[in-house]
Amino acid sequence: MLLEVKDLRKAFHVGLIRRKEIVAVDKVSFNVEPKKFISLVGESGSGKTTTAKMILRLVQPTSGSVMFEGKDVWRFKKINELRRYWREVHAIFQDPYASYNPLHKIDRILYQAFNLMEHSDTDRNKMVREALREVGLRPEDVLGKYPHELSGGQRQRIMMARCYMLRPKLIVADEPISMIDASTRAGVLKLFSKLREERNTSVIFITHDLGLAYYVSDEILIMYKGSIVEKGPPDEMMNNPQDSYTKRLREDIPLLYGKWDGF
Amino acid sequence: MVPPILKELFKTKKLDISLGIFIGMVIISIFGSALYPNPLAVAGPSYRPPSNAFPLGTDDRGRSLLALLITGIKNSLYIGVTAALISLAIGVTIGVISGFKGGVTDSSLMLITDLILVMPAILIMMLIAAYLKERNPLFVSLVIGITAWPWVARAVRSQIMSLKSREFMYMSKMAGLRDMRIIIEDLLPNMASYIFMAFVLLMSGAMIAEAGLSMIGLGVTKGVTLGSVLYWAQQNDAVRRGLWWWFGPPGICLIALAASLLLISTALDEYFSPRLKGG
Amino acid sequence: MALLEAKGVKAYYYVRQGQVKAVDDLDLAIERGITLGLAGESGCGKSTLVNTLMMNVKPPLHLVEGTIVLDGKVISNMDRSTLQKNIWGVLVSLVPQSALNALMPTMSIEGFVKDVIRHHMSVPDSQIISMTKKRFEELNLPVEALSMYPHELSGGMKQRAVIAISTLLNPKLLIVDEPTSALDVCCQKQVLRMLIDLRKTGITQSIVFVTHDIAVLKQIADWITIMYAGKIVESAPTDDLLNDSKHPYTFSLINAVVTPEPEVRKRGLTSIPGEPPNLLDPPKGCRFHPRCPKVMDVCRSVEPTLVKIEGNRIVSCHLFPSES
Repeated sequence: MLLEVKDLRKAFHVGLIRRKEIVAVDKVSFNVEPKKFISLVGESGSGKTTTAKMILRLVQPTSGSVMFEGKDVWRFKKINELRRYWREVHAIFQDPYASYNPLHKIDRILYQAFNLMEHSDTDRNKMVREALREVGLRPEDVLGKYPHELSGGQRQRIMMARCYMLRPKLIVADEPISMIDASTRAGVLKLFSKLREERNTSVIFITHDLGLAYYVSDEILIMYKGSIVEKGPPDEMMNNPQDSYTKRLREDIPLLYGKWDGF
Repeated sequence: MVPPILKELFKTKKLDISLGIFIGMVIISIFGSALYPNPLAVAGPSYRPPSNAFPLGTDDRGRSLLALLITGIKNSLYIGVTAALISLAIGVTIGVISGFKGGVTDSSLMLITDLILVMPAILIMMLIAAYLKERNPLFVSLVIGITAWPWVARAVRSQIMSLKSREFMYMSKMAGLRDMRIIIEDLLPNMASYIFMAFVLLMSGAMIAEAGLSMIGLGVTKGVTLGSVLYWAQQNDAVRRGLWWWFGPPGICLIALAASLLLISTALDEYFSPRLKGG
Repeated sequence: MALLEAKGVKAYYYVRQGQVKAVDDLDLAIERGITLGLAGESGCGKSTLVNTLMMNVKPPLHLVEGTIVLDGKVISNMDRSTLQKNIWGVLVSLVPQSALNALMPTMSIEGFVKDVIRHHMSVPDSQIISMTKKRFEELNLPVEALSMYPHELSGGMKQRAVIAISTLLNPKLLIVDEPTSALDVCCQKQVLRMLIDLRKTGITQSIVFVTHDIAVLKQIADWITIMYAGKIVESAPTDDLLNDSKHPYTFSLINAVVTPEPEVRKRGLTSIPGEPPNLLDPPKGCRFHPRCPKVMDVCRSVEPTLVKIEGNRIVSCHLFPSES
């Protein structure tokens, strides 16, 4: 089993005297096998992004465990252990602008990855250029530029190039295509599939778009108010939803090949 | 990337005028001090109004007020810069550590910060100053510097806390960079404009604080500052006696320095804020 | 006579680097009694277009050329104060993007309504409130919302309240710019339902719905107009456009839509290579030619013109040359 998430919980405490508890993630459990695409689907406030951050070892869980290849990732303390983890598990975030420090050139995002890799005698420039070409960018077009000089699609592809350099076993992608132009989205999705074919990479897609989840995943997990309310393969979710929230979600999605009742 | 930013900056009138005034006074003070190397020397008869020989008249001991003013500006600027640097160093360090580490470190540092924030700075400065018999400009700068930093620490901490959850911070963390490297490479550059503005504001406040200390007799014991001249004017009843050439010019110069610095910081703020949104 | 007719409209942004030709020599007619969907990707000029159509033109945007006739009145030569008094809110209303954020957090919805209406007519407050209450009931909105503050309402509720208030004076044309992009799907459906009710009850005659989400347009639009890089490339009745698109860009755009339907899985997702162009320096000839899968030599040098085909459909592509 590549990733095992067990009873993951995140609670925030507000207030000094009368402490109130806000539970963002409530006992979430699921598994991810190699070479599988799964989607965590939920609307804003469902806790899906917080779950992602706990898996990525960025936000500390209140309770529960994240086991990667049998090891509890929150027990890693030394920087080498962390580096080894982030080499295998990496992220693509939603906003292709906020993922870059606006004061640095985009090259930094790529060269930073070498921090995680052991072999220091490889030709770094060559690796970077190759990765950029693999994601469909010309190195001359993007290297040496600042984030605001490039389009959203280009910035997201550069993020993918970083993953192509690292070849992680698992990518957590938080709304990876929602902020890109519609005409260029399919291209970015293909990059995920390419990694799966070539490196058996698994992807956890975090999204609010049930359509995307349906198109791309092997398994869909629906999150509502911090818990997983239903999970299963896409066709089952669409044709035979059990949970009331899933049913409502499915009814409210605008369709391209059918019309809503009463519209 | 830097040159076009500066070019844009100098297009605002507000900045040009205030910067002009400020730099003008700095230049006058530097060159003027060379012309009047001994401002504390007796130069002529006392209590004389402005004349050709003494453009700003003389004080009670027959010293040229123009010489005193020019040297005073220089020393006030020195104290302003030094005190601001001290406050900046303390405030930024505490703010960064507090905001970045969070948890218990954050709570304890902020407790200390709040304590000093709440204590009346003037009283602390008076206490410390009264203990020191000899007060040179550096000591006075220290006294002002260690009481003015709390707001800087709090402001820096807020900025850090909001920057901490930006995605590029996560990307750097996941690249396995050490905390110190993330602070230096990612956080501080994004705060550079803010830190600079804090410096300008601190300097303005420090110069006025120096004048305040001097007015109660706890300013520099060696050397002349704008505050000292005002203090002597006050000791000699200059207002009641109508000796405007004594308290007028130093007062106006102090206001001009402080106000021009404030305007500079406002102009910088207006300039930097829209940039941050647009990119 | 069409509700709104725009002829030869050129609206450019004058910026330091030159002119951004956001709307470039555009003809458009909005008929009475339809919901028109205006679709395109970000940066294609659709927001600029709708603002220009109602003459909300402020520097650095300038109306360089063109006439706009709304309900028989020429509005392209009116000054701003005339527009504010007699046209905006009265004949045409625009609900801009993120209108939700236009609600002042320290004013209740009631206060907001009074503020808006006082601009147009001097009526006693009580009359304004009863008018609003009636309208809310008509549109199935909870009347209690009036006494609440923005932070007490959900995103969908806020948007519906804003739209209801924008149509209080029964403007014949309602323009909504990306009204549901920031909302969850259930709130989105409520807002769409309300737009349909607005037309059913006769409160407004026509609606222009600006969006990048084509699936939404399938649900509520009668006609769809597709824009690319400041130009209209195709305009047709909804089902005709979706099932039988003529322009290559339209075809690719529709096939890039992803909904949870088995048809989408079957056809797959297409992506168009390249990026939408920078409007400071658009490509010569047809603006889509660098990315077009069916590009021909003529496309690289000559701009296509809008041609009428099959009924009232129009398309701008060299695959459909004009007869003359």
